[in-house]
Amino acid sequence: MAEYRTHMKIIGDILATTRDDQQDENGASVTYLIRKANISHSRISRILKTLVSQGLLEQVETKGSNKYRISQSGREFLQAYYTFTNFADNFGLSI
Amino acid sequence: MEFLLENILNLVGFLIGLAIGIMALIGFRNTGSPTLFRLTIAFFSISLGFFVIWMGYMVEDLIIKSGNIERWIQTLGIAIQTVGYFFIAFSHSIKSFFPKSRYFRSIGIFPLFLVSSVQLEHIFRSLSFILLAYAAIETMLSYFENKNKGAISVAVGLALLALGEFLGWYSFVFPESILYSASMIIKIGGLIALFIPVSKVPLTRIKFDDGLE
Repeated sequence: MAEYRTHMKIIGDILATTRDDQQDENGASVTYLIRKANISHSRISRILKTLVSQGLLEQVETKGSNKYRISQSGREFLQAYYTFTNFADNFGLSI
Repeated sequence: MEFLLENILNLVGFLIGLAIGIMALIGFRNTGSPTLFRLTIAFFSISLGFFVIWMGYMVEDLIIKSGNIERWIQTLGIAIQTVGYFFIAFSHSIKSFFPKSRYFRSIGIFPLFLVSSVQLEHIFRSLSFILLAYAAIETMLSYFENKNKGAISVAVGLALLALGEFLGWYSFVFPESILYSASMIIKIGGLIALFIPVSKVPLTRIKFDDGLE
């Protein structure tokens, strides 16, 4: 059975992909993120827009297409996300 | 002896509740997670509840000197703690705990009021017991899913708090027995067990970033 992922977990997965598993030095394309984060196009578009507006991801335009790479704020957020995922896990909860 | 134990329990409860509440608040400010927001409310409520009772004892000991804490202060403190326990249980989707049938709901809740309608304090203790027992069971079940060892300590802590709450509630049947002292010692143990895994969270690496809110 597929594991239920909270909105926060999906964001964590997207940020982790852009940090650890980049396609190239410009970042990861939407198609690549869809495959890695296992999420629909309409949903990831909304999330990417939010993450870019919050400064967690940087949008890079290359050859007519957009690529995304993690910003310094994004790295700090991801670190906090992992720390507090562990904190919530202790209470048997997901953040 | 009972006075000393009450002071230790309420001070430990206040400090541990505050520490976990602050950690949850830092987590909420860094991630915006609703779960961490609920935990923040839960532990600040628990901390405030212990603080109210502790202040009641301090005021009684240093100013009023009547030999007994004002009943309404104790009830207020326990009620505030119950709100905190509710939010812990609520984080585990408490709706799944209550039976769906209206008949079973009324039957299930009836004994609480039958036994303890005399004082609000007993009602709050009964509710706290139910909420803590539920949260302890859910936390233990989550351990079986993800094998996070910290969850065992939290589950044991919540279970000890539930047992302490039960004994504290039951001690009104035997007011002069050791039950009330035992309940306080068990609750102190529960609070410490609750804090052990939380104390290992590496908060020193977390930086506040106001832009993330």
